[in-house]
Amino acid sequence: MDATTIGALLEAAIAAEEALGELGESIEDEWSYVNDLRQAWTDRLAEVAAGPLGERAAEPALIDAIELAIDEAGRVRDPHRAIDWLSTLPQVVLLAAGSEP
Amino acid sequence: MRFQDAARDGRAVVYASIQADPLVARAAELLSTASLAERVLARAAMNGESSDPDRWRRMFPTLFGPAALVDGRRSEAILGAALAVADRGEQVRSQVRGAIVEELTARLLARRAPAAVVRRERRILFDGVPAEIHPYDVTVEVAGLGEAFDCKWGARGINADVLHQLDDARTHALDEEEQLRVSLVVFDAERSCRVRLDAQTAPHAQTSLVALEQLDALAGPARAAS
Repeated sequence: MDATTIGALLEAAIAAEEALGELGESIEDEWSYVNDLRQAWTDRLAEVAAGPLGERAAEPALIDAIELAIDEAGRVRDPHRAIDWLSTLPQVVLLAAGSEP
Repeated sequence: MRFQDAARDGRAVVYASIQADPLVARAAELLSTASLAERVLARAAMNGESSDPDRWRRMFPTLFGPAALVDGRRSEAILGAALAVADRGEQVRSQVRGAIVEELTARLLARRAPAAVVRRERRILFDGVPAEIHPYDVTVEVAGLGEAFDCKWGARGINADVLHQLDDARTHALDEEEQLRVSLVVFDAERSCRVRLDAQTAPHAQTSLVALEQLDALAGPARAAS
């Protein structure tokens, strides 16, 4: 079985960011900010995923950490909190992966 | 230019009780010596959905467990304080989080300035200018170089009103040939703050941003806007 790469975990985090963005968009006054924020962070996650770190096999503890962070983001139902987590999730994920936010 | 205590109105009385909550002081003290990862842990857990500390420990493998890069006792204390904040309920936790950022800011500033000149909830008065309704969260009141800080939990708290208030104070000080440095302290990533600021048309070129990654700079020499 192929090892899970850090890049694959970051791609999953990007999908979680998209879901948070969709929830946060329901705050009409913040539509532009939500989309700008989502773009900024998904760009950063994609940049790290495409770099040398992304090719590395992830240790079990890192897989667990990022999957849990994504699960935590998926539990958010409040759109205001979703906007907050649009910023929080990538910070948690990138630090766990050993990258600067 | 002169500094003055804010009026003791209803808002001030309610907010003073939140600022006096022992949890605010406990969290701020812990965060004042925290690493970036510990501050992100606090941010996530204070506004998370889960109250199970083990989930949070597993999300931060560099802070907890066999692969931890640091002594886990401080991280454990920070996690405990963050979950205690999260346990307060939606409205109260929001107020407590804001008070923690202010207290943290004041504590870091007090490392480079005498505690007596680091003040909270102060207004800044200028000749012939109506006083702002909202006080500044934290001020450093040194003759010849005052500083005013507005503190935010998240980048979303940055708005036109806040930017105008800070920049107006700076320009009014210049009108009186005084120097007032103004800063935003935001307990959120610089990337998020820059996204928010880039969409603002209110003047902020001379307002310093102190984001989560730069909090320790508050304890160093006062900086020009960046």
